[in-house]
Amino acid sequence: MSFVTQRPLELILARNLMSALSTPAFLVDEGGLLVFYNEAAGMLLGKRFEELGTVGPQEWGSLFGPFDENGEPIPYDELPLVTAVRGGRPAHAELTVRSTDGTHHEVEVSAFPIQTPHGSQGAIAVFWPTANGNGAEPA
Amino acid sequence: MKVKLWGTRGSIPAPGPETIRYGGNTSCVGVTLSDGSMLALDAGTGIRCLGLALPDEPARLHILLTHLHLDHIQGLVFFAPAFRPQTEIVIWGPASPEASLRDRIARYISAPLSPVEVRELPCDVSFRHCPESEWEIGSARIRAASVTHRGPTLGYRIDDGDSSLAYIPDHEPALGADLAQMDEDWISGFALARDASLLIHDGQYTDAEYPCHVGWGHSATSHALSFARRTGAERTLLFHHDPLHSDDQLDELGAAAQQQWVELGGDPGTLELAVERSEVELPARAAKAAAAV
Repeated sequence: MSFVTQRPLELILARNLMSALSTPAFLVDEGGLLVFYNEAAGMLLGKRFEELGTVGPQEWGSLFGPFDENGEPIPYDELPLVTAVRGGRPAHAELTVRSTDGTHHEVEVSAFPIQTPHGSQGAIAVFWPTANGNGAEPA
Repeated sequence: MKVKLWGTRGSIPAPGPETIRYGGNTSCVGVTLSDGSMLALDAGTGIRCLGLALPDEPARLHILLTHLHLDHIQGLVFFAPAFRPQTEIVIWGPASPEASLRDRIARYISAPLSPVEVRELPCDVSFRHCPESEWEIGSARIRAASVTHRGPTLGYRIDDGDSSLAYIPDHEPALGADLAQMDEDWISGFALARDASLLIHDGQYTDAEYPCHVGWGHSATSHALSFARRTGAERTLLFHHDPLHSDDQLDELGAAAQQQWVELGGDPGTLELAVERSEVELPARAAKAAAAV
């Protein structure tokens, strides 16, 4: 008998924790697939995860910006989540994300890899809206 | 595949007249595979009686530990075959970044907690971390996966021919999750239990008790039943009884569980509370189908 695919327990526990947080948080798997974000993140972006569903790494990078302080799009490879999941190390950045209604939000992002006895299973990113409110407009 | 429950209690042994029907020994399930190979699932105090029931002759035994809490390893130093030089014992368990399985078990099998050390055991004993992928023991294919509990903890699935046993004695899959709404692949332990012939699952707390024990790593009755229904297991035994639950209280818990089970659409005959020394034979599906005609 073949077994159904099961998410690693560490991702399951991370998702369950994130679901209970009021801090925007994002979860990607080891392949960089965006597999969950919580309600707070959905409010920030203007779209619930249930509406968007799982999306690939290039797609989630382009859906919501993000932009640097000059309004320039941040290259995908330089995003904190990508650094965390590919490089296996934490990363932090200040950036601007664009919600579905066009509003821009300036946030600080901290991302860290999910390391397990069996290696990296993905990464988590937590967004902290900055006191400045709206962020830079795209250049 | 034959399954015998040698210990059904959780947390700490609970001997006494008030627990005589469901039993007071902690977790241990003996499994005899179709080719005669012998497995012990966990080594709580129930494994002492399992050891006494085994013939005194050369044998190879596999002990599959879900985790190293005391109620799952306490019987190891009282397991008679471990003191026979002609016995080979392979102990499987979860890996940990902290120390090897042998070193972690040796913290218990060593002074001052134990009169003997691991190196003094007369049997040929070895320790193996469970692999991520499926492996074989005798006629069975074994799969282990991490499940929601405190500390590194595994659940097991044993497939022998067309029969399958899922053993997840310490499990809190509903911690922070709505089991009725969650996609299957996001439910801890789901892949292990899916369509199993028999699911042995944590049912330590009543629904009324659970709010005082959230995060302790165990299930409320309704969580265990939701999990069992979602997985489609053919038969479920609620296991790891709370040491504070007397036989009479377990009778009440069982009756309430049956009612909930039926409300969830379950067949009343497919849910039971685990009883120490009870046995279950899992026939091949082909034989079951023939018997049903």
